[in-house]
Amino acid sequence: MIRESSETHSPIIIPREWRPLLLTALFAGCLPFFIRNDYLFFLFNIIAINALVVLGLNLLIGSTGQVSLGHAAFFGLGAYLSAIAGTTWQWPLPCALAFALLFVAGTSFLLALPTLRLEGHYLVMATLGFNIIVDILMVQMDGLTGGPSGFPGIPRLHLGSFVIRTDREFYYFIWGLFLILFGFTLNLTDSRLGRALRAIHEKDLTAQSLGIPSFRYKVATFVLSAIYAALAGFCYAHYVTFISPKTFDIFYSVQVVTMVAVGGMGSLWGGLAGTVLLTCLPEFLHNLEDLHVLFYGLILMGVLVFCPEGLVPAVISLPFFKKLRRREKRSADAVNEAGAPIPHGPEARRPVAPTLASPNAAVRDDGPGEPRAPLLSFRDVSVSFGGLQALHEVSLDVQSGGIVALIGPNGAGKTTLLNVTSGLIRPQKGAILLEGKDILGLAPFQVAAGGIGRTFQAVQAYQKLTVMENVLLGYHLASRSGFLSAYLHTPRERREERDLREKAFGLLDEFGLAGKALWAVQRLSLFEQKLLEMARTLALSPSALLLDEPAGGLNPRESTLLVERIFALRGRGIGMILVEHDMNVVMRLADRVSVLQHGCLIASGTPKEIQQDPKVVAAYLGVKKAGSGGRRSLA
Amino acid sequence: MSWNLALQFFVSGVTNGSIYALIALGYCLVQNATGLVNFAQGEMVMVGAMVMLSLYQGMHLPMPIAFLLSCAAAALAGVALQEGPLRHSRNRDILTLVMITVGASISFRGAGMLLWGKSSHIFPPMGGDSPYIVLDAAILPQSLWILAMTLAVLGLLYLFFHRTLLGKAMRGAADNPFGAVLVGISVRRVVALAFAFSGALGAMGGILITPVTSMSYDGGLMLGLKGFAAAILGGYGSTPGAVAGGLLLGILEAFGAGFISSAYKDAIAFLILLAILFVRPSGLFGSARVRRL
Repeated sequence: MIRESSETHSPIIIPREWRPLLLTALFAGCLPFFIRNDYLFFLFNIIAINALVVLGLNLLIGSTGQVSLGHAAFFGLGAYLSAIAGTTWQWPLPCALAFALLFVAGTSFLLALPTLRLEGHYLVMATLGFNIIVDILMVQMDGLTGGPSGFPGIPRLHLGSFVIRTDREFYYFIWGLFLILFGFTLNLTDSRLGRALRAIHEKDLTAQSLGIPSFRYKVATFVLSAIYAALAGFCYAHYVTFISPKTFDIFYSVQVVTMVAVGGMGSLWGGLAGTVLLTCLPEFLHNLEDLHVLFYGLILMGVLVFCPEGLVPAVISLPFFKKLRRREKRSADAVNEAGAPIPHGPEARRPVAPTLASPNAAVRDDGPGEPRAPLLSFRDVSVSFGGLQALHEVSLDVQSGGIVALIGPNGAGKTTLLNVTSGLIRPQKGAILLEGKDILGLAPFQVAAGGIGRTFQAVQAYQKLTVMENVLLGYHLASRSGFLSAYLHTPRERREERDLREKAFGLLDEFGLAGKALWAVQRLSLFEQKLLEMARTLALSPSALLLDEPAGGLNPRESTLLVERIFALRGRGIGMILVEHDMNVVMRLADRVSVLQHGCLIASGTPKEIQQDPKVVAAYLGVKKAGSGGRRSLA
Repeated sequence: MSWNLALQFFVSGVTNGSIYALIALGYCLVQNATGLVNFAQGEMVMVGAMVMLSLYQGMHLPMPIAFLLSCAAAALAGVALQEGPLRHSRNRDILTLVMITVGASISFRGAGMLLWGKSSHIFPPMGGDSPYIVLDAAILPQSLWILAMTLAVLGLLYLFFHRTLLGKAMRGAADNPFGAVLVGISVRRVVALAFAFSGALGAMGGILITPVTSMSYDGGLMLGLKGFAAAILGGYGSTPGAVAGGLLLGILEAFGAGFISSAYKDAIAFLILLAILFVRPSGLFGSARVRRL
């Protein structure tokens, strides 16, 4: 219902995954009528249990790009804890389940806290170590776990008098559970949080500069994925009724990771396919006896080498499916072009800057003489990297609606100043005040939330997302739906998402990108990507904007267009710091120009004053030799 | 708890630690050349030891020759992994490449099982079985060999990377592959060489440890993981870090096993490892990376 209404309201939303989900559910529901063999039921049940672990792991890998080699431990903890609570301590099953899940959530939280702050291989290492420790504990604490010989006599799943006894009954239970969770997880990926997670995977720092608290999200995802594994462990323990440490060793961790990799990392459907394939593969290979390990490894390598995005995307790109998809896409494009949802309510078109008139139209009346509290103010900011003094006691004020250009030779510290402002670098000394409040020491996402947007020297558009999704990321802070409402796709969450899309569309329209809203960013030109980046930053509704070489790499015509855009922004009262090498751009845009050299502010004034400042001329053109007459000035 | 006992633990810790260090060095070389974790590194250990077994015990080749040939065999296996699946993978995503090495590790293990069976093997140590007694601690000649060879390899590696043109080229390519190509270094050859080195180092570790602990087709896995842990402990990618990390891990493990419980040996080692990483995330010798935009 909800999905449909959102589809009809704004055709850009693409939550069409319910069709394959329904198909899978039908298939899973019908399968038992064709199975006569109990062993096959067992196999399918194990597939579902594995798929549950893989689902969580996939979410983690998709959002952090880091691998966990500890999911066997979470799986095992879920199984052992509920087995111990349910059997030895005679707790009722729901209590045992809750105990196991809570315990695993707590442990994974503690494990994630220090490790996810770091990039690289630390998560692998930490989870690997954790897995080995848990495995040893399972073997050694035989009083509690039964030791290497295992833990027998676990009660079957039951609720009141209803008991799941046969493989067939469990089949319905576990596939039902899996498909429900699968649907919820699909919902999660198709929400503002899912988008944020994908953004974190692709460019973490950029995501933070858009106000996305990436660390918090990563920890949450890790805990969620551990809970999935623990739930799978619970189901496993009460299905097989006997567990032993061998099931939960590091091999299982590696196995589930390979399932994700083979299916296609980040694609939930791929994960499911990978699980089915790799769980069944050993069954087929069993006939080969000693050869089966070798074949398993070779097939794994083969799939990874020859199917770049995993198995499922590889299958989909086969000619037959391609045709199918092209048809689907054509109809989507048609809808997009015909019924673009532009006129949706008044706020769809936000009050645009009066006109994108020529720069001269706006009047520079807020000259330097007027006493106003500055929007953004730097006080004696000093940064040094080891022995290099990148910034030395720089003080600078930016007024609302004012543009301060920051110029200086390469390596003067211009980008460093921007990085300090956005919280990427912490200065040794000084203060940065935004509307009177010190923002120093805030994390990048907090700075963004405080109202400072920025663009980057090298365009940081998300190449793997669409143009629309890029802008929607900018609206991340403007929306509030949490994990739960994203999970359930509540009507409120859907409404919010729809509103955001309308707003984003309005913004794109303003930047002349509306027609390309569904394009992958890769197809845009550099100029368009720069516009997109600016639109995305504006979605934050910033009060201050940091522009790092906006005109870099653009041709003169594009550069002129960009200048007009930026000029329009100051009409909205946004204060800007503009780092730029192109003097034409600087002189046309800036109210004030500040010149940095070797980290020191050597001059500050109106563009005219700066052009004639001898120190600046010297910094740029070198010291005038005696006798070589002629006036020198910049630009 | 007496001092001579502690000394004994120390000796066995250094013995095992040297092996971990050799394996960790292999991880470092590949990391620096490609940015990959080569999970097949542990299998290089196994391959080296098993080839040695065939050459030395099966074909009765002289020890030094068998030793060199086994290292060469593992080096070849490493190059094959790089020049085969890794170079031809259509997806250059690091994660996919790492998973390919996992696949390779399983394949090597499967092949090892076919070639050398499932039982574990052992061959006689170098320099005999009679231990030297130093301050009440029994030191096997093999332990001394292990330590000596590890140190020798370290010295040679240092000379290679700092004194030879090829070594400098490798460092250059690791630092900036694109720049290296521009000055005429074949990055492809350098990467292959790194894999060869790491294979040979792993094989050395395997050959040296087999007389002490024996080796089976899946024996490389745990050794590989320990080597990885050592490399991380030292600061991933740092050569002196790998050695220090290896020795530290070996010593921690030995003391944990000796003073607390040998059953919890690995658990203790990894627990301390995690604790160290939480305090000093970049490892002993690693430097915190500066992220730029």
